[in-house]
Amino acid sequence: MAQPVVQTIHRDPALFWWILLPITVVMILTGILRHYAMILLQNAPKKLALPQIRQQRALVRGINLRANANVLSPTSFQARKAYMVSAYQEGKFLADPESRGKPRPNPMSDPATMEGMMGMMKGNMAMMIPQTLIMGWINAFFSGFVIMKLPFPLTPQFKSMLQSGVGTRDLDVRWVSSLSWYFLTLFGLQPVYNFILGSNNSANQVTQQMAMANPGAGLMGPEQDPDKLFLNEAENLEVLEHRWILDGVEDRLVAKLTS
Amino acid sequence: MAFTATMSEERELAIHPIVQTSVQHNTQVVSNIRNLTASLFGVAAGTLGLESYPGFIFYLVGTLIVSGLIFAFRTEGKPSEYFHRPFGDLWGGDVFSGLSSFVLTWTLFYGLVRA
Repeated sequence: MAQPVVQTIHRDPALFWWILLPITVVMILTGILRHYAMILLQNAPKKLALPQIRQQRALVRGINLRANANVLSPTSFQARKAYMVSAYQEGKFLADPESRGKPRPNPMSDPATMEGMMGMMKGNMAMMIPQTLIMGWINAFFSGFVIMKLPFPLTPQFKSMLQSGVGTRDLDVRWVSSLSWYFLTLFGLQPVYNFILGSNNSANQVTQQMAMANPGAGLMGPEQDPDKLFLNEAENLEVLEHRWILDGVEDRLVAKLTS
Repeated sequence: MAFTATMSEERELAIHPIVQTSVQHNTQVVSNIRNLTASLFGVAAGTLGLESYPGFIFYLVGTLIVSGLIFAFRTEGKPSEYFHRPFGDLWGGDVFSGLSSFVLTWTLFYGLVRA
């Protein structure tokens, strides 16, 4: 049985200098540019009025009390719990106590919500525009060149994507055009950005989209009723099972010292 | 005392708390090492001219060796002091995170040297 003929293509070495290298450099520079553009586009957090800040911090205080309850002695925890629960239930921390119990206004009419949505839009734009531009640029300049051979075989389904612009039907899928090098750099450059920009960079789209999936990190979004949040937190505090960390510390100490 | 297993584990965590920043720092160190070595393995595999399965096996063996080196030198043989779940975080965790950069450099050097 004859060996299958291995297709070889002799390529101009200039392809490396004029296609592979420019795409790589452009991709790295775009990542850096996107990182700094994201920093510039981030608007500083808006200044809140005093009652609003108090309302927000009161909720955070309840959450912190719940998270760190174990380090408090039972008496001091009970005292704090009683104070927080009663204050929550009376609505002492509310920014405007008059509007308690009324239905919330439509969130679309609130300017703060619009601001947040604008921020998300900006992030999306900073991702989409360079991606579209670079793909257009590669398609316009470099289509029709076979530039490299992949070291691993692929199924023929990839042929239309990876050999776009190459008009040969029987060419092995492993020979790919410039667009596939673009995809490889798109996914593989994250460590390069890590070393250039530090680990918390916003250069890569993939990690950007991960972050986008979880925008609800803000504790008190404008669309939520603070009164409901307070009542909820009061309930959480009520049902919390409190165990003091120093319970039985003598036994633990003795056990540790004897072992 | 009728402690169930989860209760005693919770108690243990309260007595010896896990600090999130330290955990993040440790993961960061490990992932930096992994990314760098994955790129270097790609260079090696491309220069050796490995194709398809041998290349991926080379990557897997390489990451195992790197895990062993992290175990021996960075954690000094005591990974439970640095990781909450030593097995998952050190040996099994992000084996495949470096794969994309491995494929990138592998393809690049394979294309430059061989094809």
